[in-house]
Amino acid sequence: MTLEEVCDILEAEVVAGGNLCDIEIRTACGADLMSDVLAFSKSGAVLLTGLTNVHVIRTCEMVELAAICFVRGKRPPEETVRLAAADGLPLLMTGLPMFEACGRLYGRGLRGCSENGR
Amino acid sequence: MPSTRITKTQEMVYEMKVGEVMTRQVITVRPDVPMSRLRGILRQNRISGLPVLDGQRLVGLISLEDFIKWLADRAEDGPIRQRMTQHLEKVSEDDPLVLAVGKFDKSGLGRLPVVDRNDPTKLLGILTKGDVIEGLLKKLEIDYQQEQIRRHRTAHVFFEDVQADRTALVLQYDVKGQDFGQAGASSSRLKQTLHRLGVGPNLVRRVAIASFEAEMNLVVFTSGGTLRAKIQPETLLLEAADSGPGIADIACALEPGYSTAPDWVRELGFGAGMGLPNIRKSCDRFEIDSALGKGTRLTASFFVNENFHDIS
Amino acid sequence: MTLADLVDALELQVRAGRARLEREVTGGYASDLLSDVIANGRPGDLWITLQKHVNTVAVASMKDLAAIVLVNGREPEEDTVRKAEAENIPVLVSRLPAFELAGRLCGLGVGRMG
Repeated sequence: MTLEEVCDILEAEVVAGGNLCDIEIRTACGADLMSDVLAFSKSGAVLLTGLTNVHVIRTCEMVELAAICFVRGKRPPEETVRLAAADGLPLLMTGLPMFEACGRLYGRGLRGCSENGR
Repeated sequence: MPSTRITKTQEMVYEMKVGEVMTRQVITVRPDVPMSRLRGILRQNRISGLPVLDGQRLVGLISLEDFIKWLADRAEDGPIRQRMTQHLEKVSEDDPLVLAVGKFDKSGLGRLPVVDRNDPTKLLGILTKGDVIEGLLKKLEIDYQQEQIRRHRTAHVFFEDVQADRTALVLQYDVKGQDFGQAGASSSRLKQTLHRLGVGPNLVRRVAIASFEAEMNLVVFTSGGTLRAKIQPETLLLEAADSGPGIADIACALEPGYSTAPDWVRELGFGAGMGLPNIRKSCDRFEIDSALGKGTRLTASFFVNENFHDIS
Repeated sequence: MTLADLVDALELQVRAGRARLEREVTGGYASDLLSDVIANGRPGDLWITLQKHVNTVAVASMKDLAAIVLVNGREPEEDTVRKAEAENIPVLVSRLPAFELAGRLCGLGVGRMG
């Protein structure tokens, strides 16, 4: 599905990279621990996370994730938005908790990154 | 990306010359050949039009359209001279393609004779719309291949073509301890540099994961250290070294989920005990040496060749 | 839906708290940040996390969560199992990643009743 569809499904607000809404999202990953993102995510995935610090952006840069959606209504600090904009990484934010955000996307056919996928 | 391709093609239409894409082996016809023989000539040569030459001089162009018109008029047979197009749009060999494209558009013709700039009756070749498209496609393909070769070469320069008994390119980053704001920045710079050197994306990703985790360890647990990437023809070595405090139980530290990180680190999304296991998982060879109070040295090796050909 | 139903439906492994599997699950919460769960977890929630250390049990007990499910096949630490047995908090393990497990739980209707 496209990032725009993800945005609609999660009733999310685009915080950065609004021009990239037509990119294709292949899988999703929900985590607050960046090591797990590094270990288990696949490039091209959207990361759902409750953390908004700059390390989330750097982590995504390392594994080439397609986009980040902050959950639980957490608005990223300016520094995070700036770094994401510089990296060309789109940011969304939704008021939904992680559990429900995963549920909605999964229900619409998006799948997770399997453990073996690197 | 389609948008850059179009720009690229537009650029090429300006840069490429008619002479690069025109057909030089031209089938021609004399002006006194009767119209009734035209069909056979076109059919035999599988063309839909051709220049009319009087001796060496270009005098006109005759096409299938003219032939059909002649049939429709039920006119009597006569020499081609009487039915050919005489007022010709012509181009020169050194005209840019864009000029020819403009003339195709304006005249509605399917072909343009290419003539000597100093002698407009001297025919050098013929240019059809098909020639233009084919020429552009070939050029695009060549450009694409050259691009691939260039990218391949860059990687080669550092990994295979280096001719010396001992060669290594060392990238060193100084990592400050406890400075969480900057944590990860060195790995980010290393990753970008490896990309520019033409290292395959899969290998870059693996090195980046290891480097990021190693950098986090330096920041969280030590008062600082260095991160070095040593690029050799066969191997990429990633080294993280610090001068303390050292790891008490390495076997435990390698256990996924084992962590001695304080809670504040966990709340930042780190310290979940996956750092060393992640590094070990992403590299081909893993070594770690640590002495309490002295420091830790970690070496992760990545074998270049297996991952080398995934440049994409 | 009870914990036992979910254990069956999602092939979860039970590592502690077997005695309390009849408990009703009224919602789900996925988070790896303890402070977040302390702030937002609701009684009866199934807590999906990658955190396997012993502090999770204290949080689950304090917030009266239905159970802790570790994802990606992560196994609880010994301390965690011991404390969980003592506090009677079920600890389960799933091979699925958090996204997938939360997705399937929602598909089973968990989270739409509370």
